[in-house]
This record gives sequence, structure tokens and C-alpha cells, in this order.
Amino acid sequence: MRILLIEDDAETAYYISRGLSEDGHDISTARDGREGLRLAGSEKWDLLIVDRMLPEMDGLSIVQELRIAGSITPILFLTTLGGVDDRVHGLNAGADDYLVKPFSFAELLARVAALGRRSPRLAVETNLKIADLEVDLLARTVVRGGAPIELLPREFRLLEYLMRHAEQTVTRAMLLENVWDVHFEPNTTVVETHISRLRSKIDRGKSIPLIHTLRGTGYTLRVPI
Amino acid sequence: MYATMTGITFLILLSVIFVSTTRFMRHQIDDSVNSEVEEIFEDSPGRNPDAIGQVVQGLAEHPSGFYYLLQDSKGQVLAGNLPAIDPEPGVREWRKTTKAKNVGLSAIRGRGVVLPGAYLFVGWSTHQLLEMEEMVVGSFAWGLAASIVLALVGGLIMSGRLMHRIETISVTSRSIIGEDLQQRLPVTRAGDELDHLAVSINAMLDRIAALMNDLRQVTTDIAHDLRTPLTRLRQRLELAIRPGEDAAAARLTLENAVVEIDSILAIFSALLRIAQIESGNRRLGFKSVPLSELLGTIAELYRPMADENGQILIESIEPSLQVNGERELLMQLFANLIENALRHTPRGSTISVVARRLGSSAQISVIDNGHGIPENFRDKVLQRFFRLESSRTTVGNGLGLSMANAIVKVHDATLELADAAPGLRATVLLEASY
Repeated sequence: MRILLIEDDAETAYYISRGLSEDGHDISTARDGREGLRLAGSEKWDLLIVDRMLPEMDGLSIVQELRIAGSITPILFLTTLGGVDDRVHGLNAGADDYLVKPFSFAELLARVAALGRRSPRLAVETNLKIADLEVDLLARTVVRGGAPIELLPREFRLLEYLMRHAEQTVTRAMLLENVWDVHFEPNTTVVETHISRLRSKIDRGKSIPLIHTLRGTGYTLRVPI
Repeated sequence: MYATMTGITFLILLSVIFVSTTRFMRHQIDDSVNSEVEEIFEDSPGRNPDAIGQVVQGLAEHPSGFYYLLQDSKGQVLAGNLPAIDPEPGVREWRKTTKAKNVGLSAIRGRGVVLPGAYLFVGWSTHQLLEMEEMVVGSFAWGLAASIVLALVGGLIMSGRLMHRIETISVTSRSIIGEDLQQRLPVTRAGDELDHLAVSINAMLDRIAALMNDLRQVTTDIAHDLRTPLTRLRQRLELAIRPGEDAAAARLTLENAVVEIDSILAIFSALLRIAQIESGNRRLGFKSVPLSELLGTIAELYRPMADENGQILIESIEPSLQVNGERELLMQLFANLIENALRHTPRGSTISVVARRLGSSAQISVIDNGHGIPENFRDKVLQRFFRLESSRTTVGNGLGLSMANAIVKVHDATLELADAAPGLRATVLLEASY
């Protein structure tokens, strides 16, 4: 992916760009808001990562300017520690996702992947299928290996999210935000317990497990290699 | 300034007195003279100059304080004890300084009456009046001088005292700025504006001192709560960089270090969040929040965890409750209360979430049947970092309830911790919106 990072802090910029290049992305960096906006508008990018606090022009204004100018490039907004309102402001301005600093690299990679591979086709698809697991979003039925599986509504949403992001890393925070609309990190292992319940319904007694835990990062739904 | 003001006031006051007394005395003289003139006329039948002359002569021979003069139209004195004067009718007065054309007339006030072929004048000595005038003017001068001196001295003393008090206030203020926040401004018994000001400033200082104390407490607590994990972290990292340390072991140590740092960051994050919640006017962003739905989501979020812990999470939520607030914060509030209950109750405990309409409010209770919180600690657990001795070993950072409390405060709601006999009942009363 061609990614433009607009970040003034040299160390953070280095940390992000190095990690993303190692992950196979082509990354450019802008050091202030004005330069960032100029670069964002003058070239074609797959994703913009915009910091909230920037010299010359703040991140919020960049996002607003780009959206007013009709840009549809996905934007990941970086906010500071404990910012209660930054998230809302960022999303209102037109950002697609946000990440609170400091974040783990795994979290950033997962978000970047989710934004980058976001496909409009997937959003309208009503039948999701991976291996012998089939989910019908309209009938709200789940079938694995021909046998129907009963899921609670929230379990269904959880599975739906995992299916939509199959093969990708999905973090705990992403699940909390998208499945429960919870925008803070609960101190306990709430997500794990939900996943293990879902896993017991989907994977129990099956030879091929589909839900996998990625240690310290999150989960992924895929056919094991 | 003060002296000038006093002087002017004194002058005005004395002139009023002076003018009114002398006028009164002159009036008195005029009255006596008038009645004397009337008497003379009554005693003189026909009011002819001869008869009057006799009466006047008789009166003039027995000094009574009155002065009489009867002269004919040619200016010849017919009777009386005064020299001839101009036959002017009406009230006349010769002051001491008046150079009367006719000698011997001084300090007399009286009335002249023009009669056919004669002129009658009856007067009264104004010596007393003049003396009084002199006396009054004299005492004016003295009084004025004295009052100016007094005013000057008094002013100096007053402003000296004022200056002294202001100086005391500024000295005290400086020493408060310096270090000693325990000092207070002196309040005198005068109860004047300066005292009111001092009382207000003292109240403000009390508030500042209380806030400073809070801050000091929190700072100490932060330092204390972070020192332990940071020390542990340092030791681990030191082990990891020892020469000859196995690469795999070092990697594991580093991974653990990241986890440890995350928990430290979570503390900072929670502190900053509390601070942000507490500051600023969040009420502007308030909306009507579907409370029943929100509580359902949270209960559902935590239920599997409760099951895993061998606890029972039950809910009894009245449908379609709506409250004014910020969804995200309310979610965090109830999540924190439920987490708190889950964390501090043993296996087999029941945690119930009860929500119902109560007048114009929504009452939400999270009730457990665990060990509860002793009454004398119920306020303290809302403070940052406070943890009961019995829960020192459980996970958590001692910020969950203080954050809940901060959220409750911005919503103008109440959070009450009570005994559920056994266990804890945390009740939130929120303003409903329909």
C-alpha cells in the first residue's frame, strides 16, 4: 500500500514508517500539516495516517480540508493519550478510524490492513463463506459443514465482523469498537471470554479450527496454513 | 485632602450657625424696638410731636438700654439721648466701623419713623450682637484651624492605619506566595470593606489549599503506584541485556516488559481521562441516551466473563429508559461499576444490575452479595488510587470508582455506595429525558 504519514515527531515517524515498510508498505512522511496536506492532495495514496497535533496546520483541519476537496482516501487519525473528545472530532471531520497514542504496532498494522483492504463489494455481500463455514447475513443463519449453528445476536455480530475481516488481524479494541460500540479499554478479559464462547460453538469438534488467537495482538479467522 | 474636606465642611457648618444666630438676634432687637415704638405712640395721645417728645424725654431719663431720638423737620433734637441723624425711615444700623456723619452713633440698631413735622428713632445697642459676632468669628477661626489640624492628624493616623493594614495584607500575601499556604490575612474587628475582602480572600485560600492538598495526594499516589511496576520493569530489562543472556529468554523478557508498560500507560490514560472528564463543560455535548439498551449491552458484554468466574450476572432493566448524557461516558460508568463488582466478589456471588424509573430520574443499581465496603471507607474508595487492604492483591489500579465518580459528577448525578447486607449496592441516580 502507498501510505502517507503526516507526523511531526521524528521518533514516532521513524517507528511507524520502519514498521510499515517492513510489513511491505510504501511509506512517505510529511513533517508538518501544510506539507502533509499538499502531498496528500497532489499524489495518489491508499491510506493517510494523520496525527492530531501538527505544526502549521492541525490534523483535524487536514482531514476536513481533504474531505471538502472530495478525497475518499481512507484516513487513520492518531490521537493523544486519554483524549475523550478527539475520537469523536476526528471521525466527525471525516476520518475512517482512529488510534490512541501510544499504540502497539500490532494494533496499527491491523488497523492499516483493515482500512486498506476495505472493499465496497464486501459491504453489500450478504453471504460470507470461509472453508465450510457459511454465514447468511439476511437470514441471519450460520452453517458449518452443513449443520446449523445457533448464535446469540451479539455472537452473530462478532462472527460477522471476523468473517468480513477474514485472514486479517482483528484486535480486541477493534472488536470492542465495532461489535459493542465500546470506545474504552475494559481492564478485564471481556473479549477473550466472548471469543472462547464463539469458538466453542464454531470450532468445537471440528478438525479444522477457524478462529485463532494471535498472542498479545488479537484474533484472526482463517483456514490454517 | 482629608483636612481640606474637613475644613470646608466646618466652614459651611459654622457659616450656617453664624448667619442664623445673628439673624435671630437682629430679629429680636427689631421686635423689641418695634414694641417700644408702639408703646411710645400709645403713651402719646394724638401722636403729636410734643406728646411724643414728653414720653421720649421721660424714657430717655431712665436708662433701659434703649436709645431714643426725636428731632424736628429741621434736624433739631427735641428729645432723647442721641445726636441728630438723617431722618431715614425704617430699620437702620450703625456698626462700629460705620463712619456716621453724626457723631456718637455706633453699634446701634433701631427703627426710624417719619412723623408729621418730626422724626422718631428708637434703637438698641448692638454691642452684644457685635461681641457675639466677633466671638463667633473668632471661634470660627480657631475652630477651623483646630479642625484642620485635627483632620490632618486624624487623616494621617487613619491613612497610616489603612496603609498598615494593606501592608500587612501584602506581606501576608507575599509569604503565602513564598511558601506558607497555611497563613491567612488578618481580619480586624472593624468589619469594614477591607475585612470583607480579607474574609473572601481567606476563603479562596482555603479552597486553594484544599486543592493543593488533593494534588499533592494524587501526585504522591501516582509516584507510589508507578514506582513498583517501574522498578520491576527495570530489573527485568537489566536481566535481559546481561551479556550472554539467551536470545529467546531476552525476547520473552522484552515482551513481558511491553505488557508491563501497557499497564502503566493504562494508569496514565485513566488519570488523564478522569482529568478530562472533570474539566470543561461537557454538558454541551449531552444527548438523550437510550439507557436500557446501553445497560443491556454492557450486561451482555460482561456476562460470559462472570460465567467464567463462576459468578452470576443478572439484570432487571425497565425498558425504554432515556437519560441525558454522553453515551460513551455512561457506558464506561456502568462498565466500571460492574467490573468492580465482578472483581471484588468471590466465586458463586450474584451481581444484579437493576434499573428503574424513579420520578423524573432513572435509578440504576449494581448490587453484589460479596464482602461489601466498610462504611468508613465508602467515601475513600471514590478517591484516586485508594484500594481496600483486602483488595490489594486483585487486579486493577484503584481508578475505576474514581472515574465512575467523575462521570457521575459531570452528569449532575449521584453515586451512592451502600450496604446490600451482605455486599455492596452502588446506586446511580440520573436525570431522565423523555
